[in-house]
Amino acid sequence: METNEISRRNFLRVSSVAGTALCLGVYFPANAKKGRLNSTANPEQPGVELNAWMRIDTDGKVTLTDHRAEMGQGSYQSVPQIIAEELEVNLADVNIIFAQGSQNKYGSQITGGSSTISSSYKNLLKLSATAREMLITAAAAKWAVPTSECYAESGSVIHKPSGKKFHYGELVADASKLEPPKEVTLKKRSEYKLIGKPLKRRDTPMKTDGTAIFGLDKRVPGMLFASVERNPRLRGKIKSFDDSEAKKVPGVTKVFKINMKVFNTMREGVAVVATSTWAAMQGRRALKIEWDDTGFEHINSADIYKKHEELLKTKEGLSFKKQGDPNAALASADKKVDAIYQTPYQAHAAMEPLNCVAYYQGDKVEVWGPIQAPDWVQGDLAKQLNLKPEQVTVNMTFLGGGFGRKAFLDYPYEAVIISKELKAPVQVVWTREDDMTQGPFRAGVSYRCEGAIKNGEVTAMKFRMAGQNIDHWSGPDRSKPNESTAESFLKPYFKSIDNISFADVPYEMPLPNMWWRSVYASTNGFGYESFMDEMAHAAGKDPLEFRRSYLKDEACQALITRLEDVSGWKSREKNSGYGTAITECFGSTVGQVVKVSRTSSGGIKIDKVWAVMDCGWYVNPDIIRAQVEGSIIMALGAATAHEITFKDGLPEQHNFYDYKMPRINDVPPIEVHIMENTSDATGVGEPGLPPFSPALTNAIFDLTGKRIRKLPFNMNAV
Amino acid sequence: MALIAGIITLSFRAEKAPANNYPTLPKDSAGSAKAFMSVYKVLMSPRCMNCHPSGNAPLQGDDSHIHTMNVTRGVDGKGIYSERCSNCHQAENAAGLHMPPGNPKWGLPPANMRMVFQGRTPRQLALQLLDPKQNGGRTKAQLIDHMANDDLVGWAWHPGDGRTLPPMSRPAFAAQVRLWIAKGAYAPSAKTK
Amino acid sequence: MITITVNGQQHDVDAEPNMPLLWVIRDILGLTGTKYGCGAAQCGACTVHLNGEAVRSCVTKINRAAGQNIVTIEGLSAHNNHPLQLAWNEMNVPQCGYCQSGQLMSAAVLLRENPNPTDQDIDDAMSGNICRCGTYQRIRSAIHKAAEMQTEGAKI
Repeated sequence: METNEISRRNFLRVSSVAGTALCLGVYFPANAKKGRLNSTANPEQPGVELNAWMRIDTDGKVTLTDHRAEMGQGSYQSVPQIIAEELEVNLADVNIIFAQGSQNKYGSQITGGSSTISSSYKNLLKLSATAREMLITAAAAKWAVPTSECYAESGSVIHKPSGKKFHYGELVADASKLEPPKEVTLKKRSEYKLIGKPLKRRDTPMKTDGTAIFGLDKRVPGMLFASVERNPRLRGKIKSFDDSEAKKVPGVTKVFKINMKVFNTMREGVAVVATSTWAAMQGRRALKIEWDDTGFEHINSADIYKKHEELLKTKEGLSFKKQGDPNAALASADKKVDAIYQTPYQAHAAMEPLNCVAYYQGDKVEVWGPIQAPDWVQGDLAKQLNLKPEQVTVNMTFLGGGFGRKAFLDYPYEAVIISKELKAPVQVVWTREDDMTQGPFRAGVSYRCEGAIKNGEVTAMKFRMAGQNIDHWSGPDRSKPNESTAESFLKPYFKSIDNISFADVPYEMPLPNMWWRSVYASTNGFGYESFMDEMAHAAGKDPLEFRRSYLKDEACQALITRLEDVSGWKSREKNSGYGTAITECFGSTVGQVVKVSRTSSGGIKIDKVWAVMDCGWYVNPDIIRAQVEGSIIMALGAATAHEITFKDGLPEQHNFYDYKMPRINDVPPIEVHIMENTSDATGVGEPGLPPFSPALTNAIFDLTGKRIRKLPFNMNAV
Repeated sequence: MALIAGIITLSFRAEKAPANNYPTLPKDSAGSAKAFMSVYKVLMSPRCMNCHPSGNAPLQGDDSHIHTMNVTRGVDGKGIYSERCSNCHQAENAAGLHMPPGNPKWGLPPANMRMVFQGRTPRQLALQLLDPKQNGGRTKAQLIDHMANDDLVGWAWHPGDGRTLPPMSRPAFAAQVRLWIAKGAYAPSAKTK
Repeated sequence: MITITVNGQQHDVDAEPNMPLLWVIRDILGLTGTKYGCGAAQCGACTVHLNGEAVRSCVTKINRAAGQNIVTIEGLSAHNNHPLQLAWNEMNVPQCGYCQSGQLMSAAVLLRENPNPTDQDIDDAMSGNICRCGTYQRIRSAIHKAAEMQTEGAKI
């Protein structure tokens, strides 16, 4: 079953008949930040680039075009849940299809920065309410009654006094001829029937019977399979290769060298094309390649961290933010904390390895794949192939995890250049080892944090980071600090502590790095919140009480109280360690408490994790809980189970046997709570990750007195 | 359960050695114990010991770490539920580093006959190997046959990519087993390490 | 030609005998519900039933499956209604969903052999399956739920 394919065909067929459907969308003029509402009976109407986000057909069925990817975060459920609420239809009557890449139509489509809901929900609400009002207006006109006597419910407009009823499908022809109202009244939160409810995800059935189509599952007629041996040392070149054995492998049809531009340099490799994935992989194993590595990166992990430390001990770095005079306050402190915290390089390791199907046909190219940013891929392919964006069709499938890696542009481009050589559609499949060793990686970052305490109060905090800057791979600009230097740090501290500074000590090396779930907050959080715990202890205060005394804004106070209540912080059990951490990223604040104890064999066991998420207005609490649970487990892996290390410029980890993942027997029970408030919606997919590792190591400190300042660490050897 | 027990018994009986036929030499406690020490070094090498663990999980790798994935012995020694040994371990080694090694009989000793090597002193292991109640009901001749000819034991000398071999060849190992038994099957003294 | 039975249907497959069952199922038979995750029996995404056992199809050569019975996620139940599938839906288990075919196939063997598994049994059965989204807690709850449903179903 290819739900999206079938729906797309229906969609095209129906929409070619003008006047039989109501289509509403938000028009994003190029370069405009704010969307403008538009409606038309005919989306192909000249002059109007209408993003048909929502379409109601004469049978009353609603079709949504989801402009964002579904990579597990739940847009497939939460977007329809928003629409059905204001449109007053049954959720079951809302169908959803993935949009193709087009920035002109949809604006930014990057599924990243935890932005799917937070950046679009207001538009979605307004869009749906507008359609509802137009349908009510159409019904009122048919009955010749005032609109105030009509209301919408379950896909129908009802005339209250008479009980007369029109199904939406009966109204779309009339409604589509109306001008959309300029203002619509949105429902109050107390009136919501769907929003805020833990409704079941509509993509679950497809994911329990094997019918959900991920990138790797995409098939197009005549498609071949390819596997690419790329230089294991990034940026290295090919000296020579011998494909005579590879070509003898049954099923192998073609072997050729490819080169492509990645990270501002050429990447070289040999593509083996075959009639099955296995044959391509076997052919690849039979290749004999001599690489030219001269002049390319031969770095070792130990050198990276040694350099970080040296920089942090000798350089002030580029100032990112500063208030007061932390150096002066440090000089006159009663007590000081000065510590370095280190975090590892990480691979994204989504369960679905990178892959992409491409079909290059000269004046047009089409790709299908697990793609987080279809609009970026469209733009990149158009540029690289000298085509107009409209000649490039980018189709999103379900993503088997993304975590940032599938927002990069290299793998669709690689598939396209292989298809171009073959003049046939091809699926390029990365092996797990390719996916793990080729990067880009989350950068390992080191932090030096200094704090001053005078008369029992914090007088200064001085933070410096040293680590690769993501912004630098596209063109180094070392004059500016990393724009995420203070990410994860709670802003209210700036109000209660006079002297605070953040600086980035530039550190560069050529291995590619990029965003990974929660980006720099994932590493900053460990540095800053471990340090906060050390400060609390230095000040002789309870760690949660310490935070309460410096985070004076209402939302933080409420969150801390909730965290205290749900975790039983005040009645902590003896012989257990408790740790807490609170961070903020993508607008959301998350506090966590971790409880640990000693195992009989002397290791550390996590007994429980409590998380409190403040993400403002929200759609589906169960999806939020799932995202926080998942973020915590991803953080658990990065803190205790795996890292990417480099030896002579090569990653030392290859697959799950040396990049070990938390498994079901490794994970603690996790309890997630969501704050109720009137703030705008903020991010959900990532903010649950950063507080976990510091909360864990803070708990271990509470239990053992041992401070862990370097990740990852071995829970069995603390 | 009866069926499983039957299969276990059957797999042991598959070794076709005459029950009481093995070479003998004049009794020589020192020589016998010395031969056993060579046998011991092989049995305590990761290739043998990893499937004769003290706990209920197999060990992995040259460092004999506990098998990842929380694998457990099960009643028949072949794992349990969806983590049966043969779900990953095939009849032969899979090619490549860190790929699952294989053998048609891949598994641990069964729960009722655990045959633990890990942590045993030479004396403990020697006595255990000679005790039919702890060695799968084997006579000395069957023990020699098992060490010299059993296919799964033989895997240790064909362990697949990236795994170190036991400290001596299989014929040399089998010769030391025969020597140990021929000279009287003495267990080294309790002090021997 | 190698003959295998997949989800009750017999297929004559023209494949090299060393080709892993995974790629036969996906690339030759076109059943894409079974996933490639690691190729090394590390992650369990490729788990299928071979004569009822939860084998990792990425390391199982097609010749081992010759003449044997294979069930993939597409054949776990007729209408997505195995107690585990129902429980997975009930508990909102999947996030990205990529590993879930393998998780379900592993859980199905557990539930068949142990209709009332404890948490320890679940650990013992399910630790061979990796989920990068971290749905483990829900997998655990859903297996308990499915066990209840199976027991209730048996009473009717």
